[in-house]
Amino acid sequence: MAPPTLSLLSDLTPPSLERAWLSAPHPTLPIVATCSSDKTVRVYSLTNFKLLSTITGGHKRSVRTAAWKPHVQGESVLATGSFDATVGVWRRWDSYGRTEGGSASAGADDASASNPDAGDNDEEDEEWRFAVLLDGHDSEVKSVSWSASGMLLATCARDKSIWIWEDLDDGDNNFETVAVMQEHGGDVKCVAWHPAEECLASGGYDDTIRVWREDLDDWGQVACIKAHSGTVWFLDWESVDNVPLTSSSSSADEGAELVNQWREQHALSGPRLLSCSDDRTVRIWRRLPKENGSPGLNSSASTGIPSIIRPTGSDETWEEDAVLPHAHELAVYAVAWSRRTGIVASVGADGRIVLYDERIVNAPASDADAMETESTKKPSVQTEWSILAVVDGAHGIYEINHAAWAKRADRGSTEGQEEEVLVTTADDGSVKVSVPTLERALFADSGGWTAEDGPGRDHERSTASTTNPSSYGHLPRFLRLIFYNSSRREQKRVLTATGTIVYMPNKWSKVKGTILKYANKKLARPSVAVH
Amino acid sequence: MAEMQNSNPTILNAADLPTRSRSTEKKTGDYALGIFAAVPKPTDFLSSDSEGDEDLLEEPIDEQEIYDLIKSISDPEHPLSLGELAVVSLPDIFIKPTLPNVPSSPLQTVTVLITPTITHCSLATVIGLGVRVRLEQSLPPRFRVDVRIKEGTHSTGDEVNKQLGDKERVAAALENGALMQVIGKMMETCQ
Repeated sequence: MAPPTLSLLSDLTPPSLERAWLSAPHPTLPIVATCSSDKTVRVYSLTNFKLLSTITGGHKRSVRTAAWKPHVQGESVLATGSFDATVGVWRRWDSYGRTEGGSASAGADDASASNPDAGDNDEEDEEWRFAVLLDGHDSEVKSVSWSASGMLLATCARDKSIWIWEDLDDGDNNFETVAVMQEHGGDVKCVAWHPAEECLASGGYDDTIRVWREDLDDWGQVACIKAHSGTVWFLDWESVDNVPLTSSSSSADEGAELVNQWREQHALSGPRLLSCSDDRTVRIWRRLPKENGSPGLNSSASTGIPSIIRPTGSDETWEEDAVLPHAHELAVYAVAWSRRTGIVASVGADGRIVLYDERIVNAPASDADAMETESTKKPSVQTEWSILAVVDGAHGIYEINHAAWAKRADRGSTEGQEEEVLVTTADDGSVKVSVPTLERALFADSGGWTAEDGPGRDHERSTASTTNPSSYGHLPRFLRLIFYNSSRREQKRVLTATGTIVYMPNKWSKVKGTILKYANKKLARPSVAVH
Repeated sequence: MAEMQNSNPTILNAADLPTRSRSTEKKTGDYALGIFAAVPKPTDFLSSDSEGDEDLLEEPIDEQEIYDLIKSISDPEHPLSLGELAVVSLPDIFIKPTLPNVPSSPLQTVTVLITPTITHCSLATVIGLGVRVRLEQSLPPRFRVDVRIKEGTHSTGDEVNKQLGDKERVAAALENGALMQVIGKMMETCQ
């Protein structure tokens, strides 16, 4: 059985002719911004994969990083970081790609050179308004990140510092420096905000991951993880409501029980942190629940004497939750933890894209076990990561610098369904959009990347098999059940074997029954009906 | 560079440096092609898209060729080449497949070990960067260049290695005018 793979949907065209460092999919619109060594930012449509705008003139050196501000109405706001030590903020009224289909395809017409409206396209470029230049770093800016609320912008640089800026949103593009943190011992390579809280994670040249929170009006380090034996290149957070798959062997009731237990412990620890490094590994970090923190840390609280200096009670203990199966031969430059499916993607200097997924492995703990695990602070529900797919030479011979998940937008989505694509950027400037084709491996022996793009599609089976694929049974490996606890109502998401995510209002066991039915039928293209 | 750090380095005679001419079997190979050897391959005119095919037709790049590319780089403080100073030497150059488990992968890793003339040479990073830049500019992109200080030959070897191996720092250095002037001067003696 060939492993599942990624199949290339399209390149973004025309590409930059110089290194593409990173892509930032827009939080709501079907567009993506890419950063290039040619000092520009290109904005492409994810609907037709064509270039919409090129933002030039803002930076004097390579644009290394970019991030869209979330929760902005009617306007798109992009922060860019450059080797010229500055951070730019750009604004543009939303006109293209605002609504699905219609106006986005109009954008396609504009983009075609033969179109008489090509002049409009230039005008459109000019509509990117340079709002403000954030000046403060001494050397190359490496990463920028907006907090979940969009109020705070974190930036980091080779000068070993992290700056937190508050967007005052006063209509006058004023930003205020909230904090400057200088604890890192080397370049700060990446910053990433917690998906919900005002909590920042950073990683860098000193091989550490650091976690920062505001406490008594003061931003400070609450954890320093000696994480890797090489530069920490990239970080990403788990979504708040992520739930791993349950093992195919467990019954529906067992599965539900495991999921409940998992969610309880996950709620205590909060979202986990994903990191990748020059040491070629990808790791996951988990905060120990506060309640279980070592009593020594809370001594000031127990004595009732307030600490004048930073209360030690704010310190957090993070421990390694998992090392993902080894799959990279060179530095791993980026990781992306899908907020929709829980699948992790990693890319690096070896030109590989690797996909991993997580599964709950153990049976529900008995009461005695629960007591014991609590005392040792180990999670009572264990999970196991395995490799879903390895794509070699995904960008030919070039190193891949970044990967990001985005909502698929190149075809009309049925209501209640959404698919996800992976956007990857490489040294030759190419930006590729691919879609996980989990069913192909199961039901067809070919497909996915063509030979010219990636030889050895099914190489290193042994790597994957070290994670014991037999525990998956014959089908459910390709079917993910994701519980989604929205504020409105309990929803369940199912990633079907076709890579489609379906929202299921039904009871979990019934959903599972549906899946098993498909499994028994061994349909060529299983799909789950939307209810 | 106010004062020389090593004013009396050991110098090798240029004539003693290893060259291709010692191995003659290569010449025979070229000769066998006769007049066709001079005809450019059609693929020479194609864009980089055809790089994969082109590489298959090309002679494989070997250690000697790597050595030839970097031996003539000038030392930043001596009017001598890295080859003459034995900062780079043929036995310290290695070419290996980058992904040994993927036989079809064209990726190859070139490792060059640098021996600084003195163990506290502050110019080791610049020399290493020069070698890395030279190779990255000369070799097809399927090569991964790994330049490091030979173990035990420099007091802060690990630090220098980390810097030389950091893609982002190297990329930023290439955009640094002052630094690139120094590197450019080192390259003047190449070819």
